[in-house]
Amino acid sequence: MVLIVNTTPDTSVTAEIAKYTADAGLDAKIIEAAGLKISHCIGCNHCWLKTPGECTIKDDYEMILKEIIHADQMWVISDTALGFIDHKGKNIYDRIMPILTMYLKFKGGQMRHVMRYDQRTDLGLIFRGDPDRQFLDRWIRRAALNVDSRPLGVFSTGEIKEAVSCMC
Amino acid sequence: MHVLIINGSPRVKKYSNTDKILDSFTSGMKETGAGFTQYEVSDRKQWDEIRKKFSENKNILIALPLFVECIPGLLMEFLESLEPKNDGTKLAFILQSGFAEGVQLRCGEEFLKMLSERLGCEYCGTLIKGNNFSIRLFDGEQRDNMTAPYIEMGREYAQNGDMFSDKCRRFTGPEVFPFYVRILLGALMATFGRIGFNRFAKDWGCTKRLDFRPYT
Repeated sequence: MVLIVNTTPDTSVTAEIAKYTADAGLDAKIIEAAGLKISHCIGCNHCWLKTPGECTIKDDYEMILKEIIHADQMWVISDTALGFIDHKGKNIYDRIMPILTMYLKFKGGQMRHVMRYDQRTDLGLIFRGDPDRQFLDRWIRRAALNVDSRPLGVFSTGEIKEAVSCMC
Repeated sequence: MHVLIINGSPRVKKYSNTDKILDSFTSGMKETGAGFTQYEVSDRKQWDEIRKKFSENKNILIALPLFVECIPGLLMEFLESLEPKNDGTKLAFILQSGFAEGVQLRCGEEFLKMLSERLGCEYCGTLIKGNNFSIRLFDGEQRDNMTAPYIEMGREYAQNGDMFSDKCRRFTGPEVFPFYVRILLGALMATFGRIGFNRFAKDWGCTKRLDFRPYT
């Protein structure tokens, strides 16, 4: 399953994705998150040390988390700020911590958290606005390392066809 | 030198590792006669005041934990609300993380460089160090010992006005651990490390295995 989380209010992007993914016969699940209540991660570490796998913040992110653990890919559609994705987009990635455990290991020569579930979810990014694209590309590669998965690349909202060609 | 310090951690001050790091760092600054005012981004009630101080101060230090290879979402939200300055303001950073190796923080460092430009400030470097996760798990002398190395870095920063000195650069430690260290550390993490984390979890009232899967 391909999970698409739209943190922008622009549903024309997701409509375009829905069309292309349907044409390609892909199992895509789109979540319009702009109107949802999704807090930032408060870094409490409860999801690692107190209530393993569960976020202490009970808001609409829980339903996204429940989808992530079955998703082969997660694409976040985000507005941009200061050269990067804006806080709404970043919060979606920051809150992913419950799928990691507190346990540590080395992989690829670097420290990593041991994953909680068997499912691996590759990460992609679709942005609106004018970020530093080279930085975003570096960032998504690093972000994917943290969840033991592969980066799918970064695409602008003008490149939906290209992004969908990476969905499977 | 008077510095506006912004603790960019989303964790409340009481439990903030970044705050404990700043305690040591600022005690080093004070030794040189430098003054500072510190604010917490975790407290939204302070945001108006921080924005005002950001526009007034010429020496600013933002200290933050690494969250998914970059800055925490809450700090991003705050920074999005700032007006760029373009008045010669010097902006330096303390970037800290749980992962121990320097390489883990380089992507975040690149963003902070870019951020300085976007905010119209002069980039004055980032003090980078990992292996800080367990600061909050300890108290008293044990915790002070963990953050003590930051005292000297506070002196360095106050004297130089930036984080570019060799001492600051070396403070990061190894970019990656040598192979034999990884083998040894990997074995320790898989055994004693797990026992230690389970002990802390029990103290926090955890009743489940740390690799428990709440969702199916």
